[in-house]
Amino acid sequence: MTRHWGAEAGWLQSHISSCPRCQRRLVSLGKVNLALSLMKARPHSLSLLMRANEQAIGVLKHGLRAEPQAARLKTTLPEPKLVERCGRYGHSVGHLAACVTVLLLMKIGVFSSMDTFQTEGQEIMRQYYARQVGQDLAEDVFPAQTKQSSSGNPRGVANV
Amino acid sequence: MFSKALSCELLWDAAVSGVVVGRQRWILSTMQKYGPELVTMLWRILGNEQDVCDAYQDTFLQLAHFEGGRKPDHVKAYVFRTANNIAVSMLRRRMAERNRLSGPIARTEATASPAIEVDSEYLQEALRRRIAKLPEHLRNVLALRDLAELSYAQVGRILGISPGTARVYRCKAIQLLAMWMSKEE
Repeated sequence: MTRHWGAEAGWLQSHISSCPRCQRRLVSLGKVNLALSLMKARPHSLSLLMRANEQAIGVLKHGLRAEPQAARLKTTLPEPKLVERCGRYGHSVGHLAACVTVLLLMKIGVFSSMDTFQTEGQEIMRQYYARQVGQDLAEDVFPAQTKQSSSGNPRGVANV
Repeated sequence: MFSKALSCELLWDAAVSGVVVGRQRWILSTMQKYGPELVTMLWRILGNEQDVCDAYQDTFLQLAHFEGGRKPDHVKAYVFRTANNIAVSMLRRRMAERNRLSGPIARTEATASPAIEVDSEYLQEALRRRIAKLPEHLRNVLALRDLAELSYAQVGRILGISPGTARVYRCKAIQLLAMWMSKEE
């Protein structure tokens, strides 16, 4: 969808390369986005929140100014948001979640069940071949399976 | 007799101020909760620390005097919209003052040089001038979405519009700004 209708679409790119009006529009849009990014990227001083709080508290009623919360606000420094703080641990958390999921799947027996399904499927195929083309050829096609099944048949699948 | 009256008056004053403080303690909680986001938004709109402090102070002063000290139903919306309006008024005042002080010759020189166009300060100031000229409904969405970095859902809740409408307004605002920026060239 994005490949055909997004900004990266080939027909759009080729049109822009040949249309001066669209080029001008694209340049001016880029300029606005650049200016917005510059505005966002420019940091303020660390003490600005503290000073703003102090100035704002200064015009409130005397009783409010004397509150302990007001005193705390006068010394507050901006803190990064929880998402920003946790952002750098994102990859580690992802890896850990993947490991826990695999362990959980092993614990509840999903992998062993899958293994059992596969084994039983192969056994059925071997029996089919044995019935259709003979035991010798079936043993040639499924040699390992034959050995395994001869050593023990855990699910009780009947041999022909 | 006089001393008794005085002590009664003092007691009454203390009781009244205690009740008022108790009733308006939510202002400090609001300051604590939304202060950092407000300061960031004001800084991005104004780009001057003293102006940020003044706009922030005016915002909370208006909040404290809202309908005789009553708490607004939607405090976040009230605070952000008030701060935005105050900041834009300050921006317009500043622009008018600058235009009055520096003559038309200085303005022509500033836009003529191609080297200045890539200067970040110039770009930011040019954008601020145009943001101040935007219609109110577009400007509010742009300020809350791009400068305060709120989600479209939050912007919609604050302005009383749907997130989809907020998206459309933002798109229109950007297009208008781009058109004005290109016309200036």
